[in-house]
Amino acid sequence: MSLFLVNLLLALTWSAVTGSFSFLNFAFGFVLAIFALSLIREQVGSVGYFSRARRVLSLLVLFLYELVLSAWRVAVMVLSPNMNLKPGIFAYPLRVDRDFEITMLANLITLTPGTLSVDVSDDRRILYVHAIDASDPDAARRDIAEGFERKIMEAFR
Amino acid sequence: MTEIAMLASAALLVIGSFFALVASVGLLRLPDLYTRMHAASKAGTMGSCLLLIALAIHADDIGTMSRALAGVVFFLLTAPVSSHLLAKAAYAVGYRLHSSSVMDDMKRED
Amino acid sequence: MISVAAIFDSAVTLALGILSLSFLVTIYRIVKGPTLPDRILGLDMLVAIAIGFIAVIGIKTGYTLYVDVAIALGLVGFLATVAFARFVLSRGKTEDDIITEAREAAAAARREAKAASRSGAGTTTGRPDND
Repeated sequence: MSLFLVNLLLALTWSAVTGSFSFLNFAFGFVLAIFALSLIREQVGSVGYFSRARRVLSLLVLFLYELVLSAWRVAVMVLSPNMNLKPGIFAYPLRVDRDFEITMLANLITLTPGTLSVDVSDDRRILYVHAIDASDPDAARRDIAEGFERKIMEAFR
Repeated sequence: MTEIAMLASAALLVIGSFFALVASVGLLRLPDLYTRMHAASKAGTMGSCLLLIALAIHADDIGTMSRALAGVVFFLLTAPVSSHLLAKAAYAVGYRLHSSSVMDDMKRED
Repeated sequence: MISVAAIFDSAVTLALGILSLSFLVTIYRIVKGPTLPDRILGLDMLVAIAIGFIAVIGIKTGYTLYVDVAIALGLVGFLATVAFARFVLSRGKTEDDIITEAREAAAAARREAKAASRSGAGTTTGRPDND
């Protein structure tokens, strides 16, 4: 995380030195800073930084993709003439245990197809998820475990 | 502004408002509070985010663009939190799931 | 060949029309209810649509200050929903509970009135039943 701050600082420095704070110039400074950090990766211990950045980025891409997909699925469902719903709440056993990760997972679940996080049990072991199609809760559990939870664990551990 | 940006902005406008409409129709048609929340939190968020992105693409200056994108991020962060809170509160107070629900793991054994 | 500007203008008009329609549909849900959380959800949705509306108006007029309005509205809407959720939680009962309570209270009052009138049958000042 501190390396990210260094990265931002370098990009800001680049903007200041070139005297232009436009978005493009800042982005260019950011890329330059990444390049500079990758040159000295052994010295500052930033080897893990780049693979982590890539994993955070892949989490972000997955999230955006799922958001679009979920909005589309809601649209199709709402506009179909006969809604054959089987909603329900299923319990999802959490593997992530830090507050930050649980929050993130709950938010991601809310914005993904057919699921909405309702509550976390007091011991932070179980997340209760409302699904709009709860006919196959095991598949939904597997989807979350293989998708977001794994990505979150990869990105922040 | 280039023509491509203009066309992209126009497309985002139409798609975004379509999703907003879908969300409100979902609000109207779905049977209970929890399923309605699906429509509002997904399609609704998507709709206003797309409209803000259209504004960002259309804007000439960088300040407007970054503010619009900041608005998108802010909205994506807050929308799930508010619907989660509302669902939690409603369930804790005792609003029932619709009768077509097939399961409820959260129900206390008592 | 239609010019790009014309397409853009009609897209803006179309977006405004669709948004107005969804505004009306959401208001119908708010009026209809049937429960408080449903209305809160409708209000949340209304804020989201209003943000979209402001974005479209910002594009139409080219007045960039609207972006700040949209962000501020999003903040206020979020806080309002959170406060409403707290209120639902602290109220601690559903509409069904309230109706049941009211019925029970009415029934108890009726029973009491009846008992009072029976015990006071000798006197003529017994309160009349209101049902």
